[in-house]
Amino acid sequence: MEKAKKKLPKMSTSSNGTVLPISSSYTIFLHVICSLGLALAFWIAHNVYSINLVDDPTQTLCLVWVIEAPIVILLFSGFRQHPNQCSYMKAVGRGLLGLPAGAIVNALGAIALGAPVGIQHFSKTANWSILMSVFTIVPTASVFGSSWTEWQRLFAQAKPNGPIDLLICLPAHGAVIGAWFGAWPMPLDWERPWQEWPICVSFGAMAGYLVGMVISFGMSLFQKHLKKE
Amino acid sequence: MAALTCTKITLLTIAAVVIQIIGLSLFVLGFFPVKPAISGISGPESFSSPVCRSAENYNYTNHSPEELKSLYLELSNISPSYDRLILMVVDGLPAEFILGRDDRPAQEFFRKSMPYTQSLLDKGVATGYHTKAAPPTVTMPRLKAMVSGSVGGFLDVALNFNTQELLDDNLIGQFFKIGWKMVMFGDETWLKLFPRSFARHDGVHSFFVKDTVQVDHNVSRHLDDELDKTDWKLLILHYLGLDHVGHTGGRNSVLMGPKLEEMDEVIKKIHRSMIQNQLGRTLLMVVSDHGMTENGNHGGASYEETDALMLLIGLRDYDHRPTTHKTVNQVDITPTMALLFGVPIPINSAGILIAETLKSLEGEQQLRALELNSWQIFRLLQAQLPDLSCSSSCGVDKDGRGSEIGECDSNMEEIFCCLYVKAAALHKSWKSCQVFGSNKVMDYSSAVLAYNNFLRTASEWLSRRATNKPVGVLTFGVTGMLISSLVLLCLLYQLEGDVHVIENRTSHIKSRMHKWHMDEIFAMSIVCFLVLSMGSSSLIEEEQYIWHFMTSTSNLLLLRKAIQSISSGNTQDQVSFIGRESKRRIIQMFSIIFVLISGRILRGWHQGGVNWTNFPDLSKWLENEGTAYIKPVQLVSLLLLITSGFYALAFLRPRKGFVIIVGLSFVFPAFLVLQYIIKYQRSDVPESSYSATLLVQLIYVIIGTSTFGIVVALPWFMPVRNPKGFSSHQNKALFVGIADSLYLIGLVYIICWCLLQLLLQQPINSAPILLLLVQILASMCFSSVTEPKPNQWVELASLYYLGMAGHFALGNTNTIATIDVAGAYMGVSSHSTILSGILMFIITYAAPMLALLSMLMNISLRSRISLVNAQDVDLQYMLKKTLAYPCLVPLGLNSIFLVAYTTILLLMRNHLFVWSVFSPKYMYVCATTACIYLGVIIVASTVFYTYSTLGLRKMWQAKIR
Repeated sequence: MEKAKKKLPKMSTSSNGTVLPISSSYTIFLHVICSLGLALAFWIAHNVYSINLVDDPTQTLCLVWVIEAPIVILLFSGFRQHPNQCSYMKAVGRGLLGLPAGAIVNALGAIALGAPVGIQHFSKTANWSILMSVFTIVPTASVFGSSWTEWQRLFAQAKPNGPIDLLICLPAHGAVIGAWFGAWPMPLDWERPWQEWPICVSFGAMAGYLVGMVISFGMSLFQKHLKKE
Repeated sequence: MAALTCTKITLLTIAAVVIQIIGLSLFVLGFFPVKPAISGISGPESFSSPVCRSAENYNYTNHSPEELKSLYLELSNISPSYDRLILMVVDGLPAEFILGRDDRPAQEFFRKSMPYTQSLLDKGVATGYHTKAAPPTVTMPRLKAMVSGSVGGFLDVALNFNTQELLDDNLIGQFFKIGWKMVMFGDETWLKLFPRSFARHDGVHSFFVKDTVQVDHNVSRHLDDELDKTDWKLLILHYLGLDHVGHTGGRNSVLMGPKLEEMDEVIKKIHRSMIQNQLGRTLLMVVSDHGMTENGNHGGASYEETDALMLLIGLRDYDHRPTTHKTVNQVDITPTMALLFGVPIPINSAGILIAETLKSLEGEQQLRALELNSWQIFRLLQAQLPDLSCSSSCGVDKDGRGSEIGECDSNMEEIFCCLYVKAAALHKSWKSCQVFGSNKVMDYSSAVLAYNNFLRTASEWLSRRATNKPVGVLTFGVTGMLISSLVLLCLLYQLEGDVHVIENRTSHIKSRMHKWHMDEIFAMSIVCFLVLSMGSSSLIEEEQYIWHFMTSTSNLLLLRKAIQSISSGNTQDQVSFIGRESKRRIIQMFSIIFVLISGRILRGWHQGGVNWTNFPDLSKWLENEGTAYIKPVQLVSLLLLITSGFYALAFLRPRKGFVIIVGLSFVFPAFLVLQYIIKYQRSDVPESSYSATLLVQLIYVIIGTSTFGIVVALPWFMPVRNPKGFSSHQNKALFVGIADSLYLIGLVYIICWCLLQLLLQQPINSAPILLLLVQILASMCFSSVTEPKPNQWVELASLYYLGMAGHFALGNTNTIATIDVAGAYMGVSSHSTILSGILMFIITYAAPMLALLSMLMNISLRSRISLVNAQDVDLQYMLKKTLAYPCLVPLGLNSIFLVAYTTILLLMRNHLFVWSVFSPKYMYVCATTACIYLGVIIVASTVFYTYSTLGLRKMWQAKIR
């Protein structure tokens, strides 16, 4: 019975538009801001604190998520589902809750795939997984809250519809896939400092995230175009 | 296309496997060539020219050693420089420690550790050489190279663990023939190579790598005695401790300094005694067989590993200044020693005389030495190039000038011929000039130069020849493997289609043939990723990383799939259905999470491959904590293993009688294994007492007979009669009977296999064995509750992947060094290469075999599912599903890896790491192929036997009725 109820909102999402309508220019704005957030974080890391990911992964990752998380939470909370039933602040709160929860999920995933466990790796893994959480879980938490069907639809089935879904789903998948590929150079014997956990994985995740952004941007434009025709 | 019949599948599969075996053996024989060799032993005839055969015929068979010695002296015209030789082999000592690298002196730390040796070098009493060791830099091939001078083929390494007598012509044999009394202390490899040559010996094992003190003490304790004795001519001291220090702690181990000091003390003691007692002229030769990497490993072709040392202490004519240290080849030791001690150069030696060592001799004798070396090399060349005769030069006039022969360039035969003739002519002219006393120095040095020129060219060509590859054979082999792989894959594809057609007909599922699921795609892409990763040497070295990454990714995808289907089930049914449904889901989720967690622990158990051996991991941590921690882990693993066996048995509750019998068959051997663990297994030293051996043998027998007995007997007693007595369902009862007996047999197989592993594997590996079993059982559990069923090949492939990941989780790597040798002598009372080899194979391929054996359980689960779905069951279909799939999937997957890796090895044949990384990996690929064949044969014959027995009984029943 419960499951049947949960199915209902999904139907209304597409037909009644419980999500705020979104304009084309705003889509562009969203994409650009999310990507610029990353760039800004790296700019600050480089110019203000003069640290970089390779030499100081913990602090850099921390800085990146500290800058990127508010951007993502504040931006995506504006597109929360059922805006009438759920205030903006509540959506922000959901996003903030999603941050550690997503971090735990990401950390567990990474450890299952072979990320090192140990006290000396704790801060690196923690910061990396919070950043991954910002990329993957936090936007969904802000927009959809705890709606199981939506989570399942976006992550287990990967069936986004609409620009917001695309904007949530594609970069998240991009980040995960990018991180997965980013782990490949780690066992190579090039003896570069960036082969350490989690440096190349973070690079991969960010690259994947940006690629996901570009694709989602392209697809949302394409879908708009289709609709118009 | 017509559906495949079972006979057709069987015949095609067998044909493909046979083609594969032929192709593989052709490739192996072509790629790893046998070294160039002449049979026989150098005798007095080696002192005559190979070019112009004179009529002299030596009848040397009946010479006594003393006669032979004087005959050699007379024939060679070279007075031996020394009477006695002390050969001190320091295993794994890099020349860098003593001579430095690239004209830089050795590091201060190493210099300070060996003050006496350094002072000898500074004074010029000792001469140091970098001797380049050819890969594989492992002790036995290096010793062979030093004493026989021959360039070994790679396959020598494969025999490294079963050292056998060296039958090629070698220095030790030559010394033995001239009646030398020889004494050996140290690595028992020497005793295996030369079992009858030593008058006194004390061999030490090199297996217990952690022992860095006792091995060397066992050598040095004889030293005082032996140095006082006068009866020996050759004293070999082979110190293993330094190599062990390297293996445990790397180059910069804290033990390295004390060990070097110990070696320095030994050198000091020997040198002092050489000065004190003036018993003839003694040469102390300090050599190392190979170097070591930063981590202390060896086997490869890096500079650190190949940079071996040779120190000659006691050369009579030393110039009193430290020189820059020359680099020579390790094989050059052979002719140098032979000429210094007045024996013929071993017949297959490809080495060149180190001219400096003969400086004390007169010019004539030095040229004669070069000439003898050239003759020997020339003979070896003739064996390779039958056209090489140079007979035209025989008639050259006595004063024919070398300068008249122009540049030497055309085909190989002519180049060698020309170089040789040039040298011989110059030698002749120098001899004739000496009589008249003119132009002496010029001619002498040009003759030396010409000889060296010939020797160098020939030696290089010979060692290159050892790695020469016949293209035709290789192509043939690769083509064979490719064809068989294609046949297997086509069969698999065809089978997939057939089975689907039947399934769709019988169970009314809409065609899902072309809808690919995520897990199917990923199972395919794992193959691609692995094939791609094999191209990189470091990914081969760290292959455990890839297998774990791949299996856990595919498990995560399965988890995702499980989540995906959570609310996709039909929810309009009754509450009880939902309850059952949710229970099913909980089991599904938990089992896959279980697989993930145990996979992660397995990964953490043996972290490092080749380069990361120093990484901390669970096994190292436990070993450091000592037996107090390992033993409980072992006992708990044993208990849990038996518990999980019973848990898996409990699924067959209706067949109570069988369950009890099978359960008993676990308990008894488990009890014996427990007894062995508690009683005999202590610390790192394996127990070799008589009672321990007996117990182990008893366990082998009991495990063997109970497994065999159950497998044979079970199908005869499994009830096939349908309790309800419906005639239409009789076939079904038969198949249920088959499924049940396959389940029980599969379980017996894997539990007995695991018990055997608990006995054989190192104590530290007991927990991984348990985890592997749990992983396999959990993934069975997962696949039995998953709805809708994934393709069977995906399940079988993931079992195969689990097995391979487990192979690396047990601490195996793609170097030969990680093969557990100690376990291979468990329960073997007399030394037997075959038995030890079998045990070694069992230990090394524990995990892949476990996965293959567990396929029987998968077959049983699968056939039960098809029985539930199907109304009437067709034998053809069942056989295809239960027999063809589990045989074809591993064979097909393995054939892909085999072909891919063969291609990679061919492409990488000139790579720097071809001998150190790619070739050992290829050995492992071949062994895995053998393991797959074996497992598939076991699975296929068991299934076949069960089917035919139960079918026979069914027929009899029908007849009786």
